[in-house]
Amino acid sequence: MHFLIVEDDPVIAEHIVAGLRNRGHCTTLAQTGSEAIRSLDQRQPDAVILDRLLPDVNGLTVIGHLRSRGDQVPLLMLSALGSVKDRIEGLQVGADDYLAKPFDIDELEARLSAIARRTSARSDSAHLEVGRLRLDPSSHCAVYRDASVALNRKQYSLLAHLIRNADRLVTRSMLLESVWSYSFSPTTNIVESNMSRLRTALLDLGCDPIETQRGAGYVLRSERCT
Amino acid sequence: MTVQTHRVGRLAIEVGFAFAVAMLGVGIIGFGVADAWVSNRIDASLRHHTAKYLGSLDGSGATDRAVAAKIVDWQRRKILSERTYLLFRKDGTPVAGRLDIAPPAPGFSNVEFLGGGTKYQSGRALATKLRSGSLFVIVQHSEAAASLNALLPQVVLSISMVALVMGVGATFLFAHLTASRLAETQSTADAIAAGDLSHRIPMDRLDGIFAVQAESLNRMLDRMEELVRAQRLFSSNLAHDLRTPLTRLRSLLARGVGHHDQNSSSLFENADRECLAIINIFDALLRLAEIETGRHPSNMASLALRPLIEDVVDTMEPVIADHGSRLELGRLDDVTISGDPDLINQLLVNLLENVATHTPSGTSAMLSLARDAGDAVITICDNGPGLPAADLARVTQAFQRGSASAKVRGSGLGLAIARAIARFHKGSLDLSNRWPGLEVRVHIPANDGIILPVDADSAAA
Repeated sequence: MHFLIVEDDPVIAEHIVAGLRNRGHCTTLAQTGSEAIRSLDQRQPDAVILDRLLPDVNGLTVIGHLRSRGDQVPLLMLSALGSVKDRIEGLQVGADDYLAKPFDIDELEARLSAIARRTSARSDSAHLEVGRLRLDPSSHCAVYRDASVALNRKQYSLLAHLIRNADRLVTRSMLLESVWSYSFSPTTNIVESNMSRLRTALLDLGCDPIETQRGAGYVLRSERCT
Repeated sequence: MTVQTHRVGRLAIEVGFAFAVAMLGVGIIGFGVADAWVSNRIDASLRHHTAKYLGSLDGSGATDRAVAAKIVDWQRRKILSERTYLLFRKDGTPVAGRLDIAPPAPGFSNVEFLGGGTKYQSGRALATKLRSGSLFVIVQHSEAAASLNALLPQVVLSISMVALVMGVGATFLFAHLTASRLAETQSTADAIAAGDLSHRIPMDRLDGIFAVQAESLNRMLDRMEELVRAQRLFSSNLAHDLRTPLTRLRSLLARGVGHHDQNSSSLFENADRECLAIINIFDALLRLAEIETGRHPSNMASLALRPLIEDVVDTMEPVIADHGSRLELGRLDDVTISGDPDLINQLLVNLLENVATHTPSGTSAMLSLARDAGDAVITICDNGPGLPAADLARVTQAFQRGSASAKVRGSGLGLAIARAIARFHKGSLDLSNRWPGLEVRVHIPANDGIILPVDADSAAA
């Protein structure tokens, strides 16, 4: 994928550029808001990483400008301002996701691919089925071939989210945001503990398609659900 | 409010009583003065009439016979008079005049006599020695003074009673007017206590000392708001200024991770983990400050606690089980509060994370929800070691933790945030030892009658 990075700090910019290139992506770097807008006029990237505090214009102003002229390019706001209020502000002006500094490159990449994909394939999000593994909303059960297992609410939502994002890396903080809707960072391993319960239940079904990516998150492999 | 009304009532009675006592004093003094004035008038009149009477008999002519004759003549002419004229011989026997009294001493004196029937009347007498040695006396029936004296106690008493009633009434009115002026100050103070520093006391209906006081309070609030704004700016600047170098630090550390030298690589990883821990403490501190100052963008709504608690227990039960302990659901009443779901989630998660991280494995914890009077009461109790008494009060403060848990990682802000959230919802968080175990009780005012029919709704739908 091709990403436009708008970041004025050279160390952080280099970290992002190097990290994304190592993972096989193309990058363009812009150091100011006006440079970013010029670059977007020339070539549309798959997603934009935008620092909130830029030397010339505020990142929020850049988003406002892009959205007002109808540019729907997927946009992730990167900011040192990490409070709930700052996050809401960023999402309200039209950012697709908001990530507080400091961050992991894995986290950034997972979120970028999630928002880049959101625009292309949004319709299948209601589909709670991957291969022969499916979720039955009426009984709150996971069904694989002829077997089924009852899940509690959290396990059900967790599996539903993984199925919707099958074959994509989903990080812990993404799960806390979308499955739990928590805006705070728990100090215990809430995601890991619940994930291990879910995987135990899926093992009973004879189908464990979830793979742990060390230090990053989880991927549900669709090829393991056949 | 009832306490305040009670205070106003006592104040009114005290002031009314003091007013009545003062009026009693004023009445007594006033009547004393009036009495003295009337007496003076009588004495002057007696002196005047004595001089007139004896003067008309012209020096040598003022013999006993002439005086007696004049008295008899006067008696014949004036049947009704407030004055009576008497003449006594040197030995005290009466010569003329119709009044049955003993000869008084020369000069002014008070006399009592049988007037008309059997009733004693009092009068004022002026006795003058004539040259012959006889005693000429004029007695004035001081009816005005007598009736004044008879009226005195009643009038003073009734004035005191009226003063008491008026004093109490005036104080009630005054207190009421004062209270209504202070009500706006109070609602402003309440709003500020809830974290909204932008409130000011409205000045348009205040005058006098209330306006002066409100102005100085508003000035104080301006200053406070300025300080809080400066502090807020400071913390968000600090957030930015620290996050940026920490991000750079992590970027630099990331280059070292995956280094071909195993030792260096794990060293970099550890450094990165510490860096993350700093960020987490920092985030928690900012969050605490936000909640405490009411700056958290709250999403207050009617919130049914029961499903929320069931959800949190679903989430936290595996976490506590992974620490080798157990979490159970106790009794759950249906209670609705006015709350922010994200904050209440954090409150419960923080408390249950404490169970997971600060109790030994094998501990059992129970979470229950009850209604107590007007409050929703969330209770988390465990059978762990509890807390030393000295720690109970300390641990809900920022960066304080139980003395036994110094080795456990954490921001040290979990309970402080939980308590700030309870307070944000106008509630409280209390810790107590249950011997064995610790009990955490969260009280939040219930807000019922609005969302209770959730079941009815879903049944109808």
